[in-house]
Amino acid sequence: MLAALALVAGLALVRGRGIPGEMEAVAAAREAYARLGYQPLGDPKAKLEGDQQVAWALERARPGPTGVGLAWGEGGAVRWRLVFPGGGEAQVTVDRVVWALRRPVPTDPGPELFPSLARPRIAAAVAAAVTDPSAWRLVRAESWREGGHTWERGWFLGGNGPLPSGWRRELELEMVGSSVVSWRRTVHPLGTDLGVVAGRMSELRLLRRPALLGLAILVVGVFVAAAEAVAYRESVALLRGAGYGALTFAAGSLAADSLVAAPIQGVVLGVVVALLPGWTDLPRGRARFGPAAGVALAAVTLGGRALILGAGGWMPVTPPVAADIDPTKLLAGSWAPALVEEPLLRGALPALATPVVGWWGAALLAAPVGALLHPMPSVPLLASLGLELVIQASLAVVARFAGVGGAVLARGTCEALLRRGSFPLGAEWDRVALLGVVVGTVLLLWPRRRE
Amino acid sequence: MAAQARVRLLAGGIGCVLLAAAGLLVPVTSSSPHAWESPEQAAQRAEREVPSLGLLWGTMRGWGRVGPGWTVIWQPSHGAWLLTAWVPDGPQAIRWRLDAAPWLPGVRLSHEAAEMLMGGNRELARARDRVGRRDWLAGGSRLLGALPAGGELPSAREPRPPVIEAVLAGLLLAGAVARHLVPGVPSRGWRRAVGWVTATLVVSLPQISPLAPATFDPGVRPWVAELAFGTAAVLLLGALVFAARRFAAIAGPVPVAWLPVALAAGALAGRIAPATWLLAVAGLPVGLVVLAAVAVLAGWLAALAADGLRELLRFSAALRFAALVLLALGGVAVGGPFVGVALAVVAGAAGERGGGIWMAAAVVWGWVFGSVWALAMWASALQDALAFLLLGCGVIAVAYLRRGGEAAGSRVTG
Repeated sequence: MLAALALVAGLALVRGRGIPGEMEAVAAAREAYARLGYQPLGDPKAKLEGDQQVAWALERARPGPTGVGLAWGEGGAVRWRLVFPGGGEAQVTVDRVVWALRRPVPTDPGPELFPSLARPRIAAAVAAAVTDPSAWRLVRAESWREGGHTWERGWFLGGNGPLPSGWRRELELEMVGSSVVSWRRTVHPLGTDLGVVAGRMSELRLLRRPALLGLAILVVGVFVAAAEAVAYRESVALLRGAGYGALTFAAGSLAADSLVAAPIQGVVLGVVVALLPGWTDLPRGRARFGPAAGVALAAVTLGGRALILGAGGWMPVTPPVAADIDPTKLLAGSWAPALVEEPLLRGALPALATPVVGWWGAALLAAPVGALLHPMPSVPLLASLGLELVIQASLAVVARFAGVGGAVLARGTCEALLRRGSFPLGAEWDRVALLGVVVGTVLLLWPRRRE
Repeated sequence: MAAQARVRLLAGGIGCVLLAAAGLLVPVTSSSPHAWESPEQAAQRAEREVPSLGLLWGTMRGWGRVGPGWTVIWQPSHGAWLLTAWVPDGPQAIRWRLDAAPWLPGVRLSHEAAEMLMGGNRELARARDRVGRRDWLAGGSRLLGALPAGGELPSAREPRPPVIEAVLAGLLLAGAVARHLVPGVPSRGWRRAVGWVTATLVVSLPQISPLAPATFDPGVRPWVAELAFGTAAVLLLGALVFAARRFAAIAGPVPVAWLPVALAAGALAGRIAPATWLLAVAGLPVGLVVLAAVAVLAGWLAALAADGLRELLRFSAALRFAALVLLALGGVAVGGPFVGVALAVVAGAAGERGGGIWMAAAVVWGWVFGSVWALAMWASALQDALAFLLLGCGVIAVAYLRRGGEAAGSRVTG
């Protein structure tokens, strides 16, 4: 029953979540190229990219679906970059606005513009790039000779258009002869709209430092405990520790761009897991319940965000833009924090602190440290921290019931379901996100020996 | 009997004060310049002398000692910008700098501030307001209202390789393991002392946040910066309380005869190589309380490291003496701001386990006093330093009295 519920809930949580529009973006780019008289060859290589602060600033300025629509459309905050193998590169927003485009220089770019006629022709060319040309005003134009052709470049201002008041749209367009070869749009946000989001993100970065300090103190405690375990010849799970350390190293290496932290994390987590058998105060493991708890935690997180929005606060609706679009990134990025943080916060900290403050005291110490590690920006800031605190306290409950292994599975499953939204729509991404749920279902249905 | 005890207490206290005074009379010169005014006074001077910048300074948030002057910061509650001023001790001009959140396009400086930045140019013609900033034109030159605005500020000394810190950290780990592997009777007094001192520091945290000026960033609201500092401090202090219970100091006889010597040696070390950061502590309204708390915690930590050092040097009695002398000399030579702690570790390791913590604490106590006494030249800091010294002497005198009482008790029993 629990397995079926978790599976259904997991499917419901990933259904329809993800960044849409890769195919539509390719079609929009081809249409734009066709208007310029160019047919790009081959299937383009697509990459998702975005400006996180601008996306969230638009959501903050226009709450609800309007802000999301602007971030994905006229705000140009989330875009597909398409590189055609036969030449040509375009950036198209998720809602099919051709944000930037460059085509190869045509062999016959048409007659060169007479200097006195160049400015009106450049001004008229903006119609190839935008859907509301009347809103755009040419503010500056220049021309130069290069490669046997005369090049023209114009800078346009588009007012704020559908963007919030105080925002500014700009466009730079280039022509060779009388052919448009490229344009690029930019958006200048209103300082206060951007400031709220950028400020919250800076504040959360600052608040992360004490949490990292807490983890560092914990690591010192782990190494002292390891020295004692060696001195007293306590039983340690060396093989299990080495295996877990290698797994953590692999996940950390795949998730991060640099290889600095992963080896350290691998060693520390290897030591922690090796010491686990000696820490007899820790609850017994029933890891099979972990993934189901993870699904519930993901639902609570999404529900909490909706609650904050509904109560008049603000939290981002669109997920963080992923730095690299790859299924391994989704897998490693979701499970690396679970593999690293849960054994430390739900294993090592309670094991070391239980003799002093009891298991629940130690678990409650771990919750604020974990809550400061990965919160999302919000208004008020404490709303996001409070939501994270609820999740961390819930993970402590999971660890009490299902053990450290259960907490790792719960956290990994939850992270994968939450991060699913940052990646494109598609079944392969859904499968990666649901990996934890599937593992949990198998574990729950696996025939057990009678206890 | 009571009269005898009072005489003994008085003798212990006076002897201690005399030795500390002897430590103060040894002629040494410190490389660090004296601070002639408190950070509060420096901030008031900056508020008087720096021209109005055309925007709100906000509240004074923190300070630090840099070279021969105080670096003081102000930030309004919205946190969008941060004003830093370096106030020299002498009559030189105050240097200031305005940093703002990266999302702000610029700054609208006042006429006075622009004039000051352009070297007192009286021909400052007119302001040109742009989106989010104001430029000033004077003759053929232009002062852009870009950020950061203001001049360059002196920075702290070049960082040196953290050799002494690494050695101390290693000794701390060794001490923690040693206290577990070589158990003894835990000292309840020291455990309580660490607990009470930590609780006092936690209660005083709102007053202590000025000691961390680096926490305040442009674009970050000051209450969030204070929350980050408070959280980090609570985590560190909690770890210390935990360590005080798990790696408890060992009870043992108090080496009362050596404590005044240790105090005097610490005071001398503080005068030779004063810890400049203690000046910032002395500038707090609760300076005396924080100085005492720092001394107790640093003393406890030095004793933990000393236990590690003692166990590491246990292999040979002859070599142990030589190694301790070498380490003491090395600590003085390369200890820098940690010279007092390094000496405390050596002093703690030289004695037996139970008494080592008293020796270490006495050296640290003297070092804290010596540092403040050598550098601070404003009245309230000197008063605090004297009260701090007398407090230390009082504790030693009480220990002396208790030791005397115990000896008398044992004679009567015998």
